[in-house]
Amino acid sequence: MRNTATALGVIMTLGLAAGAAEAASLRMSWWGGDSRHVATQEALKVCGEKHGHTIQPEFTGWTGHQEKVTTQLAGGTEADIMQINWPWLPLFSLDGSGFADLNEYKHIIDLSQWPEEQLQAGVMNGKLNGLPISTTGRVFFFNKTTFEKAGLSLPASWEELIAAAPVFKEKLGADYYPFHAADLNALLIISLVTTQMTGKDLIDPATKQVSWTPEELQKGIEFYQRLVDQGVVRPWKEWASEGEVQLDQLPMWSEGRIAGSYEWDSTYTQFADPLQEGQELLPVKLLKVDGAVTEGVYRKPSMVFSISTRSKDPEAAAQIVNCLLNEPEGIMALRDTRGIPTSRVAAQMLAENGAIPESLIEAHKFVMEAEGPAVSPFNEHPEIREIFEGTLESFAYGQTSAADAATEIIDGINGVLEEF
Amino acid sequence: MGGDSRYLGLVYISPYVAGLLIFTAIPFVASFYLSFTDYNLINAPRWSGLDNYVELATRDRTFRKSLSVTLLYVFMTVPLKLAFALFIAYILNYRLKFINFFRTAYYVPSILGGSIAVAVLWRYIFADQGLVNMVITGLGGEPVNWFGDPNNALFTITLLRLWQFGSAMVIFLAALQSIDKTLYEAASIDGAGKWHTFFYITLPLITPVIFFNLVMQMVQAFQEFNGPYVITAGGPLKATYLLPLYIYEEAFHKFDMGYASALAWVLFAIIMVLTLIAFWSSRHWVYYAGDKRS
Repeated sequence: MRNTATALGVIMTLGLAAGAAEAASLRMSWWGGDSRHVATQEALKVCGEKHGHTIQPEFTGWTGHQEKVTTQLAGGTEADIMQINWPWLPLFSLDGSGFADLNEYKHIIDLSQWPEEQLQAGVMNGKLNGLPISTTGRVFFFNKTTFEKAGLSLPASWEELIAAAPVFKEKLGADYYPFHAADLNALLIISLVTTQMTGKDLIDPATKQVSWTPEELQKGIEFYQRLVDQGVVRPWKEWASEGEVQLDQLPMWSEGRIAGSYEWDSTYTQFADPLQEGQELLPVKLLKVDGAVTEGVYRKPSMVFSISTRSKDPEAAAQIVNCLLNEPEGIMALRDTRGIPTSRVAAQMLAENGAIPESLIEAHKFVMEAEGPAVSPFNEHPEIREIFEGTLESFAYGQTSAADAATEIIDGINGVLEEF
Repeated sequence: MGGDSRYLGLVYISPYVAGLLIFTAIPFVASFYLSFTDYNLINAPRWSGLDNYVELATRDRTFRKSLSVTLLYVFMTVPLKLAFALFIAYILNYRLKFINFFRTAYYVPSILGGSIAVAVLWRYIFADQGLVNMVITGLGGEPVNWFGDPNNALFTITLLRLWQFGSAMVIFLAALQSIDKTLYEAASIDGAGKWHTFFYITLPLITPVIFFNLVMQMVQAFQEFNGPYVITAGGPLKATYLLPLYIYEEAFHKFDMGYASALAWVLFAIIMVLTLIAFWSSRHWVYYAGDKRS
């Protein structure tokens, strides 16, 4: 009996060992703020102890991190595990060979915790180059207090928002605006309404060309102009008079004179905190244009974990990635420092433990429940953004018509996409 | 001097030489090579001959816009700054009460000048509801759109540069103090007024210093980055999009290192040509002590 038990023990031990990597020395790099740095180091410690590996942390702030990763990849000195911004995937791994294919480690990483659509976001040329850590999306935030002062409830449609503008001017003053859209936000609002009208994302993943016709984009640009003309948003030129500054840093925002914006759900606190005492900011479901064929949510993985193709211990790295995203030790150490996790088990565990603020859950719910076509990472390609935003600026300053701007944007973006 | 100590000097300067080679000379040569390549940092540089230079000379509208903005900025900033620095130095050359305090106070902006913090401060001062517009509206005027109007934005950035006149001023002050006082006495006896004295004695005698400041300020102005980057990010409509901003964006946003290197070399060539022109012209208007013309 005793001999049988010993034999079983030996067999089990050998079996476990066969499925696990040997003790490895790894490196992991990421960007973030202090809370993320502290949480990730703790998570690496507990996951490392659990799986018998040591992980050297390499962390920085956001600024300069892309340059750092780029130079490391160029020099072949990148970390085994990397936190990669989702739009960087086509820059670093257009053909899928820039990072390890995580499908090869599905016996270690429990990929069933991700919805198929989310996993697809990390796929480049058929290879799973990045595992989405969290999902983020644009959502509407409105200052409930300002709307109440104007005697209005929060808008549920674009028409209600447009109708709020004259009431704001009459009851609160000429410098009150129910919404904000200039620079990148103008671009995203135009993209949103054009997607709502057409049911298509800016870029067709099949053809790698702009999917909108010039006429469709023109309508989107004219919609933005309507917001300006009706006094819903501050004109671009007036907005530029503040210099290069973020909305949440302006007195117009903190005093409630600009009473709404279209922002990442994860930035709720960033926009709610500067508001003067007694003012309340609420997330609101996506506003839709008349005849919309989709809500057109701009939802994307905020960042992914990737494993280096040059890692000496990719299986050990995969174990750590799985621990960080799917195992209780990693989940509870990281908490929501990278947003609400995409991994089902992690999101559920954090919610059950009350580890996520209520307002963030609400904003995130709107993003996740909304539907829309998949968003291409090329939307955030620097050259594409520059062409789109630069042409819109010319339109906003009256240097070009909506029709010409639409044609110029589409031709310019198609020109960039030809390189890929 | 013993045999061992013959090399002591070389040992002493070796840290500097090493730094110069590693951080200046090698990148300088490398960037020249890269300017003839297509290089995105990820893949190895691919030789592309003169493609980058042809592109920027013939097709790149952003380069043309950026170059014209840069030239306008330099030709606006440098003369204004030199004139202003000389004017303040002239005043501070008088024996006034608390003169040392004023000299220090006027120099302070130059110490702070290039910093991000001052650029941020500038942004608040000239913002829509900033200090300047508060004063203007307080006096009954209409607020000015300093950053949002393409006609005003570059001027506002120029003012920031102008405000940093301290270093040029200190050099002018030293030059003014070195002028022999007997020349002024002689001029006064001959009946010369203040304007005549300034234009016929002071100005000719400080032309070497004007020349020095001209070259230094011109080189610095061509390399301006912090102000427009922090205050306007090159906008609106690229009205403040100076060449260093364009180089930075090509290199570190688009990772087009080859093209960014070509842009940097064109900027270098422009500075070099203008500096050579300044040196050539100096034969006609700069007077040195012992010069037969003086």
